[in-house]
Amino acid sequence: MSVDLAAVLAASPFARFLAIETQVDDRGVLAILPIRDELIGNVMLPAMHGGCVAAFLEIACQLQVAHETGTIAPARTIDISVEYLRPARREITYARARIRRLGRRVATIHAEAWQSDEAKPVCLLQSHLRLPDGVATSD
Amino acid sequence: MSSGDDPSGSASRRVGDWPEQAIAEGMVTFTPYAKALGMKYVSSSPNHGEIFLPWREDLVGQGGSDIFAPGVLTALIDHVCGLAIMATFGFEARPATLDLRIDHMRPAAPRGSITAAAHCYKSTRNIAFLRAEAWDVSRDDLVATAQAAFILNRKEQA
Repeated sequence: MSVDLAAVLAASPFARFLAIETQVDDRGVLAILPIRDELIGNVMLPAMHGGCVAAFLEIACQLQVAHETGTIAPARTIDISVEYLRPARREITYARARIRRLGRRVATIHAEAWQSDEAKPVCLLQSHLRLPDGVATSD
Repeated sequence: MSSGDDPSGSASRRVGDWPEQAIAEGMVTFTPYAKALGMKYVSSSPNHGEIFLPWREDLVGQGGSDIFAPGVLTALIDHVCGLAIMATFGFEARPATLDLRIDHMRPAAPRGSITAAAHCYKSTRNIAFLRAEAWDVSRDDLVATAQAAFILNRKEQA
């Protein structure tokens, strides 16, 4: 069931553009987004661009699906719903995603991003992903 | 002719007096992440904004597909919503996204550039409500639709 998440990231030019890194522990996939000036959306605060934080969470969802299904075939985003709780400061950002239901065709996923304190998330994301054909379900 | 007065009046302008449209355009041109993704300002008017994003190989979701990653559209749509607000209220609005929902209707055409347009259909002193659309070839055949709410920090009207 173990899949090479570095290979999943390497297969995505945009994930490489964001320079996302990943670790796996007993809670699942931990996605890591190093900060750099190009990711800033508000230079006055300064804060990361909201579109950047959301994209990071979308990729965290993809990684968790790959980790749990054991397939590197990409799932396709059907929809996302993002809530911004706090400005994402000019700091390293972390994310975890939790699959709430893995169906035959669709996965329902919740993800959250935080910076220095996991108890204070900066952004929440819910998403439906269209799974690649042939993925095992865990109903 | 006396040289005392500047007929354009520009000498007496402070930053806060710039037309909203110039501020809105600068928000696309100078925001680091918008610049990094290659967003191009198209147009803006009160409650409306439009941005163009040329296709680029390093922003593709899956190598070989030649299709933008969905997260690239997320930034484009979030930014065009901010543009529609800035075009209405100027720099002082300092809009911040509260929530954003995006439906991906279909994949964009391979190597297809994307245009996104936003409409702010209602705003109160504190909140702006927007809808946005994104397309590759024709606005009659959308790639994505979106709904967003932004918090505003508007000054009291004098």
